[in-house]
Amino acid sequence: MANQRKEIMKMLADFGTVGMTVAFSIFIGVGIGYLLDHKVFGGRTAPWLTLIFLGLGVAAAFKNLYMMTKRKDL
Amino acid sequence: MEHPILFISLILEMLHLPLPHGEVGATLLEKIDSPHMTYTWLVMAFLIIVPKLTLGKMEMIPGKGQNFWEAIISGMEGFMADNMGREGARMMFPMLATFALYILVSNLVGLIPGFLSPTSNLNVTLGCTLIVFFTTHILGLKFHGAGYIKHFLGPIPWLIPLMFPIEVISHFARILSLSIRLFGNIMAKETLLGILFMLAGAYFAPLPILVLGVFVSFVQALVFVLLSILYFSAAMEHAH
Repeated sequence: MANQRKEIMKMLADFGTVGMTVAFSIFIGVGIGYLLDHKVFGGRTAPWLTLIFLGLGVAAAFKNLYMMTKRKDL
Repeated sequence: MEHPILFISLILEMLHLPLPHGEVGATLLEKIDSPHMTYTWLVMAFLIIVPKLTLGKMEMIPGKGQNFWEAIISGMEGFMADNMGREGARMMFPMLATFALYILVSNLVGLIPGFLSPTSNLNVTLGCTLIVFFTTHILGLKFHGAGYIKHFLGPIPWLIPLMFPIEVISHFARILSLSIRLFGNIMAKETLLGILFMLAGAYFAPLPILVLGVFVSFVQALVFVLLSILYFSAAMEHAH
């Protein structure tokens, strides 16, 4: 019983982060792209790097979801 | 909204020490005197002094105080050993136990009127999270050397230009999600308690939120430590 509850707590912690990880991956991607566009290249490449890194952020979010579906211990 | 009454700030004001007027003070002394700093020190003093007082002399047959602390420490070590193996638990135990006790006490201290949770400030949780983030990568470098880069490259060689930014982004997303979850939960608890107390404190309106606050404090401390354990063990194991 105690063991089972521990497992449930662990999964709660694990899967409670899914939504946040999706949101923050996208934000981090857009943030990196925006910094590269406007601080490193001085706006000459805007908006292309922002868009590319937005795509990478979305890909990172989906990669996290995909890794979660491949877990063996469920 | 009403300004919360914080008793340490009141004491400092009586001593004629400068208090910050906004969120962050201008001078160094004002920064040190800001509420989340003073309450962090209160929590630290609590965690240092109370075990010293209750532990007493260490004995072969434990008394009441020693029994209590031994139960807490061995429970935490067992929990870590379940998740990251006995060796890893032994190595990382001091840091993770410090995080667990510090975050738990600083979450709970905000439930008492006149106190403030240090973790309801984003800077405090961000500090904890950055420690976890850098420790993760130092552990990875220590266990795998230069081969730690394989963790970031994914399984297929020609996908490396795509996988590397993705992995880096998901590692940075961990910082945000770990710090903002703890900060958001505790700040929501504090704000909700403040508002309900101001609106209908005489009718015990904050009582249900106080009960939920105890639950949230325990769960958030547990989640922070558990996610740190998961990140550490992922950095220690071999790349898949």
